[in-house]
Amino acid sequence: MSFTHLNVSSSYSAHYGVTPPRALAQAAKAQGAEMLALTDRDGLYGTVKHVAACMAEGLAPILGVNLAVLNSNGVILGRIVLLARGNCGGLGYAALCRAISLAHSTAHGVPGLSAEQLGQLGQSGNLMLLLGGESDVARAILKGNYAQARRLLAGWKKLAGKMLRVEITTHLSSPGSRYSLGEASRMLRYAYELNIKAVLSNAVRYVDPDGAMTADILDSARALHSLLNLDSCQPNGQGWLKTPHQMRQLASVIGQATERSWANQMLRETEAVAQWGVMNPVTDLGWKTPVIPEAKIIGLHRPAMQELTDRVYAAVPTLLRNEKPSLVEKQLALELGVIERLDFAGYFLTVAETVNLITDMGIRVAARGSGASSLVNYLLGISQVNPLAHDLVFERFLSDTRTTLPDIDIDVESARRHEIYHKIFSSFGEERVSLMSMQNAYRARGAVRDAGVALGVEQEQIDEIAKQLWRFSASSFREALTEKPELAELAERITDDTQLDILIDATERLDRLPRHISMHPCGVILSDASLLDRTPVQPSGIGLQMSQFDKHDMDLMGLIKLDVLGVRMQSAIAYTLEEIARMHPSKEQASRAGGHTNDSYIDASGKIDLAKVPLDDEPTFELIRSTHTLGCFQIESPGQRELVGKLAPREFNDLIIDISLFRPGPMQSNMVKPYLEHRHGFAPAQYLHPDLIPALAETHGVTVFHEQVLRILDVLTGCGLGMADVYRRLLGNPEKEPAVERYVRTEAVKNGFTPEVIDKVWEVLSGFGSFGFCKAHGAAFAVPTYHSAWLKAHHPEAFLAGIWEHDPGMYPKRLLVSEARRMGVPILPLDINRSTGHYRVERVFESAPAKLPMVPRAPSSLRPGRYGIRLAFRDIHQMSEREVQRLVAGQPYEHLADVRARAGLSRRTYQNLAALGVFDSLLSGTSRADTIAHTQSMAHSSLPAKYRPGPGQLALDLGQIEHIKATGTQLEPAEVVRTELDLMHLDASEHLMSSYRQRLSHLPMTQAAELLHLRNGTEVLVAGVRIATQTPPMRGGKRVVFISVDDGTGCIDATFFDDTQQRTGPLLFSTRMLLIHGVTRRTGPRGISLQALNAWDLHQPETLPVAGYLEEQSRPQISYRPKLGDEARKKESVSELAKRMEAEGLDQRGA
Amino acid sequence: MGMFTESIEVARAANGMPLRVNWQGQDYRLVAEPQCWFERRKWWEENLRIPQGIGAGIADYEMWRLQLVAVSGSRQERTVDVSFDVQTGRWRLVRVHQALAQSA
Repeated sequence: MSFTHLNVSSSYSAHYGVTPPRALAQAAKAQGAEMLALTDRDGLYGTVKHVAACMAEGLAPILGVNLAVLNSNGVILGRIVLLARGNCGGLGYAALCRAISLAHSTAHGVPGLSAEQLGQLGQSGNLMLLLGGESDVARAILKGNYAQARRLLAGWKKLAGKMLRVEITTHLSSPGSRYSLGEASRMLRYAYELNIKAVLSNAVRYVDPDGAMTADILDSARALHSLLNLDSCQPNGQGWLKTPHQMRQLASVIGQATERSWANQMLRETEAVAQWGVMNPVTDLGWKTPVIPEAKIIGLHRPAMQELTDRVYAAVPTLLRNEKPSLVEKQLALELGVIERLDFAGYFLTVAETVNLITDMGIRVAARGSGASSLVNYLLGISQVNPLAHDLVFERFLSDTRTTLPDIDIDVESARRHEIYHKIFSSFGEERVSLMSMQNAYRARGAVRDAGVALGVEQEQIDEIAKQLWRFSASSFREALTEKPELAELAERITDDTQLDILIDATERLDRLPRHISMHPCGVILSDASLLDRTPVQPSGIGLQMSQFDKHDMDLMGLIKLDVLGVRMQSAIAYTLEEIARMHPSKEQASRAGGHTNDSYIDASGKIDLAKVPLDDEPTFELIRSTHTLGCFQIESPGQRELVGKLAPREFNDLIIDISLFRPGPMQSNMVKPYLEHRHGFAPAQYLHPDLIPALAETHGVTVFHEQVLRILDVLTGCGLGMADVYRRLLGNPEKEPAVERYVRTEAVKNGFTPEVIDKVWEVLSGFGSFGFCKAHGAAFAVPTYHSAWLKAHHPEAFLAGIWEHDPGMYPKRLLVSEARRMGVPILPLDINRSTGHYRVERVFESAPAKLPMVPRAPSSLRPGRYGIRLAFRDIHQMSEREVQRLVAGQPYEHLADVRARAGLSRRTYQNLAALGVFDSLLSGTSRADTIAHTQSMAHSSLPAKYRPGPGQLALDLGQIEHIKATGTQLEPAEVVRTELDLMHLDASEHLMSSYRQRLSHLPMTQAAELLHLRNGTEVLVAGVRIATQTPPMRGGKRVVFISVDDGTGCIDATFFDDTQQRTGPLLFSTRMLLIHGVTRRTGPRGISLQALNAWDLHQPETLPVAGYLEEQSRPQISYRPKLGDEARKKESVSELAKRMEAEGLDQRGA
Repeated sequence: MGMFTESIEVARAANGMPLRVNWQGQDYRLVAEPQCWFERRKWWEENLRIPQGIGAGIADYEMWRLQLVAVSGSRQERTVDVSFDVQTGRWRLVRVHQALAQSA
């Protein structure tokens, strides 16, 4: 007879379980088990993984949960396990989901249920209660309160009746401790006395004894105590998945201890309960059966397919006026045919309904991802990209070969994302909608912190180590120590300090273990009214309910998920459009301001409809080619500015190619260079075979897009584009790729291709692997890229205000001050009466003499200098949102006393505002320094509430009753900048670098603006404020670090190769003000960057180089320039690189 | 009761249960069913490393309480606690229970 474990916690019991469900199932199978339960703490977080693993292993899954039993005050009295009944059409599973959701809805926030609630849940016969070693009964036994234990057990029996089992567990711990043999045999005796059936378990927390130490560390992390001071740790390390043989032995030991022949009965009952709980994935869980909202919810009054067809055709005349009808007809027949055969019409209508909801709220929305390949999506208003115009391939999105629902992701304005969620909940109904969750796993920093606390390493030391860990996984900790120069010092200490050595082992053990769940940033689950029978939910950070399942669980559980992604750029664009209309409130004004030659996209109130703006605006491309693309979506990073400079986009399709090329795959596999050479006509395009020209012509023979791979596969094999996408997905998979290769070679030979051509084409396909980019995705991305550049070229002030307001980019706000200078947009200081809570465009009357800005503007748009951007109150340090609201509501203010009386500011804010010069416009005869001194000496900021004017009352105007002493003191400019940086993280009045110039006066410094005029290979010294640090993965494991600094005249992008990293050590990542010695490297007609040779911290003047440094013989010089592509190729394959990127979370672009 | 950590040889039966003991050159046999338990080990104080896959016997010791009588010579019963270290495969004598030894 086999043995079934009924009480098993996986790693999805955060801070408790150690082993992932898959490994548990594999081990159980290897031990000869037929069934396996998963009973994680507080939820079904690991359930779908468990069921999938059991199915893969041929085990029957059993589902349950380990829940706290609470008294009415939320105090935990113990924990019990609930098991769901199986093979009952989902009744048991639904009851389990509902019980868990109920447990998470407690008023005090501690998840759990009362004994009474548990009793009631048992009534239906669908949930079994296991009362074991964590229960109040076992606790009483442990304390020696045997009578109480009996009484408690009797109470449970009364509540749960025949659905109660006593769960007997012994870890053979020392007598008197938890899970001791004595405790187990006493539990068993009481169970028999009260005539309650008993089952045997091992309360599993790890698959094998090795996991015990990890469990100890997790216990410590959960209790926030070091192991030394931990009083509730496991009694020993026996809580592993013991074999059936070992479990039977334990049964007989317990039987002997009770001096009864109860062992076999207990084992039989365990198997009986297991049988009762076996889940049928299909009939109990609805495995892989998508459930869409009921027809009435999505406004259907006739069959979904008919509705979809009619809606799509109705939109053709308006949206596809210029396309050939036969082409449209053919495409729609293809798409609708697939949708009908897969029965997905309802899904498309659901998405369309959601998009409608959002557009009706007046919120910008755009589809991203492969969804843009579908003409149906375009005609339903889900996507803004016409796939016919960009030659996209529907099969990349959906085909008959696909059985899972396609992903349609939509981007919305980030600032209004929560509003949208609430709207979806209220429109579809709470019972049909839930947010999706995500598992947050331990990464290096968190792991080293928790492991350090467990081991009692000094806090200071932990902090220091944690600070040095730079985005690599904890499992590669030892490797990183030997490789990364900034960790060299730490590595040395470890050889001396044994405590650090064990710390690394402990850190590696925590790596990747789930820590907690949180709201997924964009996933919304839409279903019918049965949703809460199919997923447990718990409150999310924003109050809306959140499923315990993550994105990997969706398809398997038949849950439809929509990614509603908040994109700050969409908010910035929306804000820009509002500002344009506010400043230029008519068609004529807006048109004149932007220098628009065509005003068909501007309405009478000055509002621009970007969707109608043609995609071929020359000033926009001129701006992009200038590489002054700061703030433009997707093309503002140093690397992108370099690529844009080289590529020199002329049309929209170039932007799609640019965005698709700028990914680690193409960048590292050397696709960019040949593409650029062919593009600029330096080398003629080469095609592997004339039949492939149609597929590859747009990229001059270089394979960039997924769509091209599909077409190549189709040309070679004639497999059709749908199957081609299936094969594409297998590329790069070491197990499956060989079969694809065999198929491609056989079919290609049949189709008359020569072995040489096949070899070459296969090399491209295989090298392409899982890389490359979906063109539809690139096209969807290119739209906001184009729009943001269009706005920057035509309405720079409003655009900049939008960027300030929503901060969509990768750079800190202070860099935008420099950008504003380059754009010729004055930054207007904070002012008590003119500033608001928002960054607003403002007319400048005392305009400075016009200077030609560095950043190009559209011809005949507004001259620079006539409009500026007024700084807002919202980003002032320690000033609350309420204070901002009150202050703005009280505007205008006549004098300081007025502010004090009416604005209701805290004393600190009042002082901060004075320091920032907010009150300067109220002053007469005194200086800012005087005001600061005055506010510092103030006792209280405002009148007590009872003396403040009530609603409808006017404050008695006493004139300027605050007497400020005029001393004639003026602030130093450096002091002003310091204050701005401290309180606003901005240096608005003067660049931060100015105060360091003195320190560098002995060195021949070069400014960013001068760099472009230097020859390639010029040796320079530059200095600036760090604005960005990037460490893209490199083949061969040699890391390259890109650091961008800003010196007030522009951005300098410096590349740090391995040897320079060795030289600079820790300051590479930790220093803010840098002096860099480097050599110029020309990257294109408008692009120049530095190859760094050394760097120093400006805050350590004693370490800075001396005068004449650039003539010193011993200074570092360029020894070699690693070729990123060829040389490294041998060491790391594309798929290895992909894996490492995945592991280190380096590709943040989303697929 | 005395505390020792003295080396001791224990032979096990196929099911893992101790069968015979050799202690200080003398052979002993068991006169009662041995009792087994696993006692906590403070690995964070005692171990220098805990690499993943180090295996069993770090978080606890396997302990056995044995009632012994010498195969030859004195018929006096002794009760001892022995521990088995999975990592080294060695048995150690941890305690000799005086009270039991005297009462026998």
